[in-house]
Amino acid sequence: MTGFVDARTLAPDARRLTPEVCIIGSGAGGAVTAALLAAAGHEVLVVEAGEHRTKKDFNMREDVAFAHLYQEGGTRTTTDRGIAILQGRGVGGTTVINWTTCFRTPEKVLAHWRDHFGVRDFEPQDLAPHFAAVEERLSVAEIPLENSNRNNRLLYDGCQALGLQAAPTRRNVKQCMKSGYCGMGCPIDAKQSMLITYLPDAVAKGATVLSRCRVDRLEIQAGRVASAHAMTLGDDGRTPTGAAIEIAAKRFILSGGAINSPGLLLRSGLGGAGSPLGRRTFLHPTIGTSAQHPDVVEAYYGAPQSIASHALSDRGADCGLFLETAPIHPALAAISLPGMGEAHRAIMEQLPHLSAHIALAIDGFGADEVGGTVFIAPSGEPRIDYPLPPRIWEALRAGLKQLALIDLAAGAQVVRTGHDPTLEIRKPADVARIDALPFAPGRIAVFSAHVMGGCTMGGDPARAVVRPGDLRHHTVENLHVVDGSVLPTSLGVNPQETIYGLAHTVATRLAAAWHS
Amino acid sequence: VGLGLWPSRVRYTPRRALLVLDAANFNVLATAALRAVRAPGVDPIEIAHAVDTVLARGIPEAQDDFRRLLQLLENGLAGLLLDGRPRPFTWLGPEGQDAALYKFRDSAIAARRAGYHSLRRLCLSAYYVGDSTWQGIGYPGPPQISVPT
Repeated sequence: MTGFVDARTLAPDARRLTPEVCIIGSGAGGAVTAALLAAAGHEVLVVEAGEHRTKKDFNMREDVAFAHLYQEGGTRTTTDRGIAILQGRGVGGTTVINWTTCFRTPEKVLAHWRDHFGVRDFEPQDLAPHFAAVEERLSVAEIPLENSNRNNRLLYDGCQALGLQAAPTRRNVKQCMKSGYCGMGCPIDAKQSMLITYLPDAVAKGATVLSRCRVDRLEIQAGRVASAHAMTLGDDGRTPTGAAIEIAAKRFILSGGAINSPGLLLRSGLGGAGSPLGRRTFLHPTIGTSAQHPDVVEAYYGAPQSIASHALSDRGADCGLFLETAPIHPALAAISLPGMGEAHRAIMEQLPHLSAHIALAIDGFGADEVGGTVFIAPSGEPRIDYPLPPRIWEALRAGLKQLALIDLAAGAQVVRTGHDPTLEIRKPADVARIDALPFAPGRIAVFSAHVMGGCTMGGDPARAVVRPGDLRHHTVENLHVVDGSVLPTSLGVNPQETIYGLAHTVATRLAAAWHS
Repeated sequence: VGLGLWPSRVRYTPRRALLVLDAANFNVLATAALRAVRAPGVDPIEIAHAVDTVLARGIPEAQDDFRRLLQLLENGLAGLLLDGRPRPFTWLGPEGQDAALYKFRDSAIAARRAGYHSLRRLCLSAYYVGDSTWQGIGYPGPPQISVPT
């Protein structure tokens, strides 16, 4: 069995699989690892709970995309519902629906990990050749400023007017038509997601990618994973068919992503009192402004993110921020814009004239920050509890004020905050009114599209789930975790390239170690 | 206690089988949808069905939370104790329903605020995801594209 296989097609006598390497999850971490290990001659099986959907399925409709390509149909939130979490699901994971923004891991973040978490094997010089290899494979390149859409250009112009740093981003696209629908799956395969790059590379070297196969539990015996117990998922992509699958591999790589990876380990009996498993989950908590401009913005068309500002990344002892943009198609606009009834409708009718700019808090760097905690709900599903500390709320308030000033400097007539009821800001002097607004769950809309941590790497088993270097579990010897869950903090940049780079580095090391 | 047993005013019944909600929840949801979404051609029954479909993709705990939210919104005793309004949500006039929803929005209890936003977001996204709504907000829809050769 090789290639892309739907688990529903497995015959009953083919539901016990014995690959050398089982990789659980097919996103940024799993796909890169699969490709490199398969290329090194290892027998690789990638199992993926979600569906295998391709460009022919990507019809640029939000309802279809959320139903099939997002965790929990796009309804994932923190337990208090204070933070909406957009996270991908399906073959290729979040790389299929992200907005293609690529940054290498900032060197100061790597230094922080080294100094505070004992991560000594991912120095900039260690990662550089791996980042370079990934960037070449994924056609990562800077988007020229003149190719930015109006929404991004307004962020740039506003920053320029205020003397704030802002610059074009790099994107993993090839022959991009800038339609603006990255978040719904690229309909022309311009986005160089795992779906069309590293996963086909792995398959070309003999790997199998088994979709609709949800791993529910790892059976751990004597410090080793003996097998993975999975279920076949049915036509709706979520309901088990009853067909159980057992995978008895020599080695296991867990790449289910932050939230799902710690969730699987918790369901498998790991963790417990005082364990770091599930802890230190970070989200880049995000707030935004919608600003109304006299001219047409059409923030739903064009490359979704092509400008970023890191002018506020270093705020001294306070939590840092970075600023980007968001595409607003009708459903995403409807949930992001404040209010209900006639008031909401009045803003929706201005959709073509609205820009959408966001401020992302760089969480995880405060001395007393603990981040979110993943736990298992009675249903067996993973959930995340993340009460934001005052440090993060302060940053979001500062970010909101800065965004409002940027929007006004870019020519906005009205800037609306994500509060409900909203505050309408029409001149710079109004920005001070943000100081009087409440910042608390349910008072202002908070989102996240960057989920990190929960299986953190580090040298101290009391504080970390996996060891640095090869990301092997501290106590389970044939289990490695290779995805965004290993990050000890957030990043201050979009996370996809960090995960690619870590996976490329670790897979190279594993292939060498296993060969020897 | 009797206020908690005050029966709903049934205005909306499902057109097809429900996935997560029951008929009572559905009626409350459709009633609320008509207040959350004020736009041309709103069909609260279809919005409620769409929300039911979205909820089915979520986890059981989130489904339970949403059912409890609708029960709390409708319950007269809870309305009296928390907001000073003894009548079930479905018996209120439009202004009373808006006021009841805003009481949730402005509540000191975070769970009630979160409930308001869940209700609001699910109804609004269910409506605006439909292509028949796009012209009214000036959204031209996805572009016609062809694959580069």
